[in-house]
Amino acid sequence: GGAMSFLKRFPPPAEGVRHQQPDTEAVLAGRTLGAGTLYIAESRLSWLENSGVGFSLDYPTISLHAVSRDLNAYPWEHLYVMVNAKFEEEETKEAPMAEGEEEEDSDDDVEPIAEFRFVPSDKSALEAMFSAMCECQALHPDPDDEDSDNDYEGEEYDVEAHELEQGDIPTFYTYEEGLSHLTPEGQATLERLEGMLAQSVSSQYNMAGVRTEDSVREFEDGMEVDIAPVVAGQFEDAEVDH
Amino acid sequence: MEVSHSVKERTIAENSLVILLQGLHGHVTTVDLRDESTATGRVTNVDAFMNMRLAEVTFTDRQGAVSRLDELFVTGRNVRYVHIPDEVDIRATIERQLQAIHRVRYFGGRDKGRKEFPRAKHK
Repeated sequence: GGAMSFLKRFPPPAEGVRHQQPDTEAVLAGRTLGAGTLYIAESRLSWLENSGVGFSLDYPTISLHAVSRDLNAYPWEHLYVMVNAKFEEEETKEAPMAEGEEEEDSDDDVEPIAEFRFVPSDKSALEAMFSAMCECQALHPDPDDEDSDNDYEGEEYDVEAHELEQGDIPTFYTYEEGLSHLTPEGQATLERLEGMLAQSVSSQYNMAGVRTEDSVREFEDGMEVDIAPVVAGQFEDAEVDH
Repeated sequence: MEVSHSVKERTIAENSLVILLQGLHGHVTTVDLRDESTATGRVTNVDAFMNMRLAEVTFTDRQGAVSRLDELFVTGRNVRYVHIPDEVDIRATIERQLQAIHRVRYFGGRDKGRKEFPRAKHK
């Protein structure tokens, strides 16, 4: 059969190779690419056929990988790698296709997916291959991750500096932690503020229909007390003498 | 109780719901992936980037074909939902994980346990 057009000749990776597995067949979407060596390197995953041509996969494009020993699903034990890209036999480029899903239902949102299987002749190597891939994947966190605010570079919490009451305040305290780190002045301030809060809360409860001398006096003074009732409509039945 | 060995990862976990997922170690959990496949297996690791490692997995691909996978690693980017198992008490799990992180950080006081930064000299 014809060569896959995305296969290129390149030298095997020299640096950061966490695991190398010779005598490994590569299979794309059920079609074999031949026998070669799989290189699990920190920068990328590469496979080179014994003839010297092969391909590389960048970790950010790899959605998942797995060890498959289910011979009902596929007749040989292998490392399964799912890639977020399309690799077509007839296409000239490796880049994900903009359109044109041939096998699947054409939902607009269907992502391109390519399924690789790496079948080592030495099945016992699968664990090591899997682990090496996990380690390398972890080196490539998602750069497009906008949802989380994971930029902690400049804000490392220096435990020792803080114990000596130097250094920046950490971004997160439990209540107990925070209390224990207050100076005596800080604790006094906290108590004062909490007292003020408690007072305004209790006067709020006074306003909520329980008539005391204080609350009646406040009305008679004509003071504007800008406190919202705890429950709207709660006082509709209250009898208040103005 | 597994807590990351990395200061940065502990800080990230402490400030996000990843901390809940890290509390699922050992639990059989179903993960829905971005491409609409699903994986059900025992959680063996979750890192701060929500990369998840599962063992003894039943994998259903997006066409519905079912297979077993001994071990699966899915990148955080491709996790859509994690079904928290019914037997897991979410609040207790989060509290336990936070305590584990704080134990690592503060254990033994000054001169024992893990130091977030190496000390220049001993007191």
